[in-house]
Amino acid sequence: MSSSAKKPTDRVSWVWHGVYALVILAIGASLYFASKRIDYSWHWERLPEYVISTEGEEIRASFDGFVEISEDGKTLTMTEMKGSGRETFSGFSQVLVGQGDLVFQNDVLARKPGIRPGPLLIGLWLTLKISAISLVFALPLGLIAGLGRVARNPAARNLATTYVEIIRGTPLLVQIFIFYFFIGTVLQLSAFTAGVAALSVFTGAYVAEIVRAGIEGVARGQMEAARSLGMSYPQSMRYVILPQALRKTLPPLTGQFINLIKDSSLVSVMALTDLTKAGREVVSSTFSPFEVWFSVAILYLLLTGSLSLLVRRLEKRLAHD
Amino acid sequence: MTDRNPKLLIEANGVSKQFANGTQALKNVSLTVERGEVLCIIGPSGSGKSTLLRTLNALEEISEGDIQVNGHSVHNRKVDLNRLRTQVGMVFQQFNLFPHMTALENVMLAPLKVLKQPEAEVRARAEQLLAKVGLADKAQSHPAQLSGGQQQRVAIARALAMKPSIMLFDEPTSALDPEMVGEVLEVMKALALEGMTMCVVTHEMGFARAVAHRVLFMDHGEIVYQDAPAAFFDAPRNERLKTFLGQILKN
Ligand SMILES: Nc1ncnc2c1ncn2[C@@H]1O[C@H](COP(=O)(O)OP(=O)(O)OP(=O)(O)O)[C@@H](O)[C@H]1O
Ligand SMILES: [Mg+2]
Repeated sequence: MSSSAKKPTDRVSWVWHGVYALVILAIGASLYFASKRIDYSWHWERLPEYVISTEGEEIRASFDGFVEISEDGKTLTMTEMKGSGRETFSGFSQVLVGQGDLVFQNDVLARKPGIRPGPLLIGLWLTLKISAISLVFALPLGLIAGLGRVARNPAARNLATTYVEIIRGTPLLVQIFIFYFFIGTVLQLSAFTAGVAALSVFTGAYVAEIVRAGIEGVARGQMEAARSLGMSYPQSMRYVILPQALRKTLPPLTGQFINLIKDSSLVSVMALTDLTKAGREVVSSTFSPFEVWFSVAILYLLLTGSLSLLVRRLEKRLAHD
Repeated sequence: MTDRNPKLLIEANGVSKQFANGTQALKNVSLTVERGEVLCIIGPSGSGKSTLLRTLNALEEISEGDIQVNGHSVHNRKVDLNRLRTQVGMVFQQFNLFPHMTALENVMLAPLKVLKQPEAEVRARAEQLLAKVGLADKAQSHPAQLSGGQQQRVAIARALAMKPSIMLFDEPTSALDPEMVGEVLEVMKALALEGMTMCVVTHEMGFARAVAHRVLFMDHGEIVYQDAPAAFFDAPRNERLKTFLGQILKN
């Protein structure tokens, strides 16, 4: 009976998978034809270079002077123009200057071979780093604020509520400006520190609401049972309520971390080259905005997608316990 | 305090309770429980049975009156409530076991964290208690893996682990399938025979008749009538109680 009941549902679900593929294809095709109409010339081949650079390391002149290349082309010697400094380089694969050229300090002389992360990958790394560090601070902050939200003490409760309402009631971009220009200046914070502070404080408020919902989701009887055994409020929270609440908050917390990764793109307004800022810079040197922004989007998706996958695994394992 | 009867474990005087929404759940209730006494409380739904029980260990605050447990005023702000609650065990209708812990861990938690007893000692005692309620083989099971009757027996073991001087039961069998009621009542009966002081809110008239020393009838937030079980059930001298018992017998 079960096999005969199963077949029709299988067929129906395949139909819908087909519909899905068709819609995606249609959207892709319309994008393609739309780009044809605006006479845009695609240069996807330029992109990989900005993700993983094969250009190698640059060798730069450390003073103004003249170039001298050995006969076999394997060593390059610089002689200082106003002085007696000499500098010899070797091990490069490509020379970018000519015999006897006058070059100035910081000019690129040659390139060493090798692959290096390109600007987009470096930006991705900064995005990951700033999000992860912000999360590390946001979690305890949110936990404390969340506990404050459910506390009986009016001072704790009102402080937590004020914090959450202010943060949730103002745009993140404005908060970042305040942290960068005001708090950052007063406390002499670096752009990175100011960015981490802004993102932590912002995310902490949302984590607080998640924690509060988690605590309120634990059955009332749990607290009563714990208290009836003589456990204090903090003990009951720590050993009985929070372990249950936090398990429930894992999915919304992941969502919040994914938001954090995306929201971190706003720190590009500060002097921080995260993935978004790197994208902007690459656009200005390639003049290929479409390819770059699509690539940036894919890189963000890679980050957020692997994170959801990871947490889904973790959840399954927790569910088995 | 000076004229206190040392045999009295619980002494409630003129207790009233009004909830924030205005419901008057207890009206001028006075109650005493002696050491070693088993008291059963019956009454219709909403009559204030749970509320009365919960004021005894200050899970519920009172509006008026005074409650003494072991000579300590429960609702006095200066009293160490957490210490006092270790002397008052409570068993709930919904068991309220901690779902993220095994049966053994449920029993061990409070002695470890509240009484700060050494782990080996606590573990040995917890295993003894689980054996006593017939669940030695379920020590490593989580509540979700246990039947209702088993969960309630773990809950009783958990309360006993604090070595309380009195046990409060709030309809301990009302959430159970009928076939599991017996096993929980057996454990409670054994406890009563050991001389444990008990206050039991219940609809199990058979248990009340067989085990209680005194049965108490509550209605509309008042203690309407109390007597020894034989007189209480067979010759009640109260009209409201007669009506109530009549309704119960019909069902
Ligand atoms: N937290 C609360 N807030 C407001 N009213 C409440 C609260 N708890 C109980 N009450 C009310 O107080 C009265 C007594 O309730 P209580 O739970 O003590 O009755 P009960 O005798 O235990 O009933 P049951 O047999 O249904 O358990 C009821 O009218 C109930 O609606
Ligand atoms: Mg009740």
